[in-house]
Amino acid sequence: MSEKLYQIISRVMNIDINQLNDDSSPTTISNWTSFNGYVLLDELETNFDVKFSIDEAMDVKNIADIKRHLKNHGVNLDE
Amino acid sequence: MIFEIMDNEQPLSKYILDSEKLETNDFKKKIKIALLSSFTINGLSESLKVKCSKKQISCISYVAGYNQYNQEILNEKSELYNFSPDITFLILDTRSIFGDLFHFPYSITKSAREDFVDKKIFELFNLITKFTENTSSKLVIANLGLPNYSPHGIAEMNTSYSFHDAIIDFNKKLKEKIIDLNSVYVFDFFKFVVKHGEKNIFNFQNYLFGDIKIALDYIPHLANELIPYIISLLGLTKKCIVLDLDNTLWGGIVGEDGFEGIRLGPQPPGNAFVEFQKYLKALSQRGIILAINSKNNFEDAIHVIREHPHMVLKEDDFACMKINWNDKASNMNEIAKDLNIGLESFVFFDDDPVNRELIKQIMPEITTPELPHDPSRYSDVIQSLHDFSVFQITNEDTKRGEMYLQQKKRNEFQNSTLNLTDFLKTLNLEIKIKKSNDFTIPRISQLIMKTNQFNLSTKRYQEEEIKKFSKDEKMLVGCAQIQDKFGDNGITGVFIVNKINSDEWFLDTFLLSCRVMGREVEKAILHYIIDEAKKNNVKRIKAKFIPTIKNKPIENFLPDSGFFLENDFWIYNVEKPFNTPEFLTLRVE
Repeated sequence: MSEKLYQIISRVMNIDINQLNDDSSPTTISNWTSFNGYVLLDELETNFDVKFSIDEAMDVKNIADIKRHLKNHGVNLDE
Repeated sequence: MIFEIMDNEQPLSKYILDSEKLETNDFKKKIKIALLSSFTINGLSESLKVKCSKKQISCISYVAGYNQYNQEILNEKSELYNFSPDITFLILDTRSIFGDLFHFPYSITKSAREDFVDKKIFELFNLITKFTENTSSKLVIANLGLPNYSPHGIAEMNTSYSFHDAIIDFNKKLKEKIIDLNSVYVFDFFKFVVKHGEKNIFNFQNYLFGDIKIALDYIPHLANELIPYIISLLGLTKKCIVLDLDNTLWGGIVGEDGFEGIRLGPQPPGNAFVEFQKYLKALSQRGIILAINSKNNFEDAIHVIREHPHMVLKEDDFACMKINWNDKASNMNEIAKDLNIGLESFVFFDDDPVNRELIKQIMPEITTPELPHDPSRYSDVIQSLHDFSVFQITNEDTKRGEMYLQQKKRNEFQNSTLNLTDFLKTLNLEIKIKKSNDFTIPRISQLIMKTNQFNLSTKRYQEEEIKKFSKDEKMLVGCAQIQDKFGDNGITGVFIVNKINSDEWFLDTFLLSCRVMGREVEKAILHYIIDEAKKNNVKRIKAKFIPTIKNKPIENFLPDSGFFLENDFWIYNVEKPFNTPEFLTLRVE
């Protein structure tokens, strides 16, 4: 599932998947603008069938945060 | 599966990504789009670019800063005007326009609500005026969506000039204000929300998080609705739908299932085809031409078209019918030739994937949509093409089908008669000579400016000059209206005679529109001129044929009519009797 997450981020941010890690954030990915951030969350909601709360959305600062919130919603990223 | 064809839009992220990789340099059609909005509208320009590229249009866009539309329009030196767009979309939203009144509309009185709407319309109209003063760009303004919410709840419907009434009133007044403006249009955002549903379009989280008032996944849908404005502006509107018959206009195969066996009627599944035919009929009534391209025995198919009680479309609704065993590509070529329309103006609608593939490969200019197996979705396919839109429906549009039909009947008639003279005899041709006056001069001038083929001298005169000639006693200016049994061709002939002296007249201009060429009506017009000369005791009519690349059709007109060559001029001795073919009736107004 982690692979799926990385694929989505890679696609939305238009960046090579190998350049992504848990610390990747708007600071390291130039395409991670605030708007693309919304687009990313929207895509994740659709693909993992979850709904982020506005607090969770505001809290996302890097990929590790996304993983944490997905796990909280019961998405198993280790499969 | 079927769903995919129409409804499954790509996610916005795909458009954003694809828009960066577009290669549009080869596209001949280009458009500059400006987007102004009262909220975050990111992704719309990317969606529009990708969708334009699919229609071979290269699109450059300018997206104004967040909620900067007032400043952009009011400042004459703004980036907007500097960009010089061809078309500008201004997308407003109910929350921004109503401000605090969105939540508290009943904190003020009914008349204050009315005043508020009037004030907002006034402000917006000022903006529009400013915009039209500063740029020649077309302007498309979105009207307001109607929120499901009202603080009055179910009592909303018992409230006079309620919150919802105010929004509807705003939309109505906006439409009234701009309806007479040439370059300003309303985009019915209200209807867009109705189509997709407010619960889908508006997402609280998107809104509160990023002031995104159209949910991200609906941005590509919004782009779909704006594309028709671009299509219309660039003149890419499709003109003709070419239809298959079996399993397209009716269910089943008439050659196998027979007249009684095909599915067409008030009960399902036949009603799907009735519904589709009604939709096509409505399109034809606003100027889209319908044609048939079908592999069938002509007799089988025409029997259904003429006699089937549930055929909505009648023979006369089709401007052209190719029902035979030729391949569909050859038929398409014939249809294009008969209707005199370029291939890029056609939509080909056929349930058979093999035929679609053939047309796609051989004639890529033609739009060939994929069809679902389920005929109940046929109308949807045509609607989702967004290719038939025009800014305005003219009178000529609504009559177009009729004019093509008349042309079709003439052609069919010609094919069914033995020789040309026999054919012309049956046409009941009537030539009405009219003087040049305020009513006829615009058309006379138009013909003089654009007629190339049957034009003796190809002299071009502006309307002002024609007016001057018409007042001049030394000139005879007139035109001819041609009618036949199929209808009125309108004014399609023009002549200008210069009365050089009492003995000699000079035929300065003599032309026919290509619409009426080949029917010998020119003889009747010339006969009129010779008669006029006789009445004035004129001896000779002089003329000069000035050849051009295009006017070969009139090359032999003078010698064929009894003129003889003298030096560089053609001369007709007025005393000589002139014979007009019997099948022509000449009237002088």
